[in-house]
Amino acid sequence: MIALARRIAASRAVRKFRRNRLAMASLAVILLYIGIGVGCVVGVITPGEVGQRIGPDSVPGWLEGEPGEKRLADCDFLARQVAAALKRDDPGAAIKEFSLAERRFADLPVAELKKLVEQAAELHDDIADSFDEVGALAGRIAKAIRKDAPVADVLPPEQLAAKRTELEKVQAVAEAKLAQLEELTQRLVPMPEGRAGKLYRARMLLGTDRQGRSILVRAVYSIRVALQVGLVVGITSVVFGTLMGAAAAFFGGWVDNAVTWLYSTFSSIPELVLLSLLAYLFLGVHFADELVPVYAALSLTFWIGPCRVIRGEVLKIKELEFVQAATAIGFGRVYILLKHIIPNTAHLMLINFSLLFIAAIKAEVILTFLGLGVKNGASWGIMIEQSRSEVIQGFFWQIGGATALMFVLVLAFNIVSDALQDAFDPKHVG
Amino acid sequence: MSDTRTPILSVQHLSTCFRTDRGVVTAVDDVSFDVFPGETIGIVGESGCGKTVTSKSIMRLLPERTGFIKPGSKILFEGMNLATADEATMRKVRGEKIAMIFQEPMTSLNPVFRVGWQIEEALKYHTTLNRAQRRRRTLEMLKLVEISNPEKRIDEYPHQLSGGMRQRVMIAIALCCEPGILIADEPTTALDVTIQAQILDLMDGLKRKLRTAIVLITHNLGVVAQVCDRVIVMYAGRIIEEGNVREIFHRPRHPYTRALLDSIPKAGMKEHGKRLPTIDGIVPSLFDLPKGCRFQDRCRYKQDRCVAEEPQLILGPDGRLVRCHFPIAERVVPGNRTEGND
Repeated sequence: MIALARRIAASRAVRKFRRNRLAMASLAVILLYIGIGVGCVVGVITPGEVGQRIGPDSVPGWLEGEPGEKRLADCDFLARQVAAALKRDDPGAAIKEFSLAERRFADLPVAELKKLVEQAAELHDDIADSFDEVGALAGRIAKAIRKDAPVADVLPPEQLAAKRTELEKVQAVAEAKLAQLEELTQRLVPMPEGRAGKLYRARMLLGTDRQGRSILVRAVYSIRVALQVGLVVGITSVVFGTLMGAAAAFFGGWVDNAVTWLYSTFSSIPELVLLSLLAYLFLGVHFADELVPVYAALSLTFWIGPCRVIRGEVLKIKELEFVQAATAIGFGRVYILLKHIIPNTAHLMLINFSLLFIAAIKAEVILTFLGLGVKNGASWGIMIEQSRSEVIQGFFWQIGGATALMFVLVLAFNIVSDALQDAFDPKHVG
Repeated sequence: MSDTRTPILSVQHLSTCFRTDRGVVTAVDDVSFDVFPGETIGIVGESGCGKTVTSKSIMRLLPERTGFIKPGSKILFEGMNLATADEATMRKVRGEKIAMIFQEPMTSLNPVFRVGWQIEEALKYHTTLNRAQRRRRTLEMLKLVEISNPEKRIDEYPHQLSGGMRQRVMIAIALCCEPGILIADEPTTALDVTIQAQILDLMDGLKRKLRTAIVLITHNLGVVAQVCDRVIVMYAGRIIEEGNVREIFHRPRHPYTRALLDSIPKAGMKEHGKRLPTIDGIVPSLFDLPKGCRFQDRCRYKQDRCVAEEPQLILGPDGRLVRCHFPIAERVVPGNRTEGND
């Protein structure tokens, strides 16, 4: 085994591949993705974490500031969580139980918490009033300085200046109160310290979605789903397509006619329509894994590519003398097909797998986006689907996170398969 | 034949046909011959005369959809008729009892497996040897076919071996199960001359060592002269002459055999500087065979009877079979073109 590994490592193709810096970097990226995918499988990120609320809704991530109203709403959200816990029969236990990932309620006596919550509620109403005032003033100024403002709305310059100073003053007051409220909220639901704090801030790096779930965790966990779909669909369709194509070419006659008819029929239907149809067929059926319908739909459409290619190759190979030599040794036909011919198509199987792997990942996202794929778990498709309404409001974190991770994976994979092709192509020696 | 030994393989009235777009064509027409244990029999003839089809018929390797053996043909081997045997029987015969090697050593080995693996695979299929025994036997076989450094070569891929070495490996695969007959279909055609000689020597030595009968198919008369005991000359799907190798070479009786021998260049020949004799014309198309003798258009001794009636394969007084109305009788020296027919 070790000797074999050494020989492979020393082979011309591998040396050529290793000289390609970009390909090596891409390979590292793919290995990182695979590592993350495996991590998700063994439980570094659990499905529970993926669905867990970690903070207020739609928090933007990473250095992007929030408008005052959003900050107020965030504080209100946290305060209401505490209030809800306090209303329980056993407030002490409820407070211990509560958590937003690493973030927990302050370890204070119930009475103290109650006091703080009341204070926060008062302050909230106060700030809300200030914001109303700010809103009214800003509205008035906006009306006055509009170009085609009616005469009644126009203000003399000194009055306008006064309004502006007033607005600034009210704003400053609101700002100060908001800071006070945030400090109060911080005392109620403190940011965790040390490692837990770092972890929590990492979770908040890309903000939260509409259910207050971490976008980063969801996007990263989707890698697992993507790799799973790519791997399962890639392998099943290559294996199935190879067997069908090889059998068609090798046995010929009615077998060939049947397979050719089957794949011409399949490929005459637009792929997305067929995909949707197949996914739709599986909708009512319940599976242990909700990805099973996705696997089935994609494999049933993707086997055509490898089938066609392998059929052509086997038509060529079966005329070579070693096939006849194998018959002359006395091997049976099926044995020759499986043991002697199919191994000679390994390079095509590999290339087809790398193409289908990426195609399957993209198709899964599209299916999920259409509501025919993943429903409850995490998937880039779900994230993109959710962000349809968010993008209009200027919230790009969800679609950005999903597409960035997908883009990097697809790009890295394309670079690697390209480099593999170059390295292993016997026609490009040197 | 007047031979009293029992043949290991007896081909009787073998006719093999192909379905083509232009109708059924008979590529091998009523061919009969015997192979005796431990002898080397050569089948010679030019391209398309049916020698390869004969060998493939014996192995039943004809293209499934187009080729078939005509009913009434018999290929008797160990009490079985291979012409009508089922596929399961054939699988037992192929490789184990009758082995075959092919013309093109470059493509006769599977490029994705090590050569040792390919020999062991045949052993695994036909014997009950265990893994270690198979490995030992494989090494023995590689030594037997005179591959240098077999311990290293056993784990190499076909592309790492030269053409001659690959042909040796093919011979090793063919002989590893000790078959009674080895059919070699132009085994040296694709090799250069020095390697050809080595391979022929090897086959000759192995035949003596293993008592394997060899059916050597070739168009190279030099090869025949070097290793064969008996020769069958074929022309347009028929046997036209059969006999002992010395007699065929020194006293060819069929004009075609004679012409073939004449067209071999000879070292130090007297006619140095003269044009090498050739046989004019081409082999008649199998779709459009003449009514009489198939060689009539190219024969220098053609007479009216040759056009009217096809000659039979007749056993001569010297134990040789000739298909000619007017066989050459006198002792002639090849190259001497002044002799006439009788």
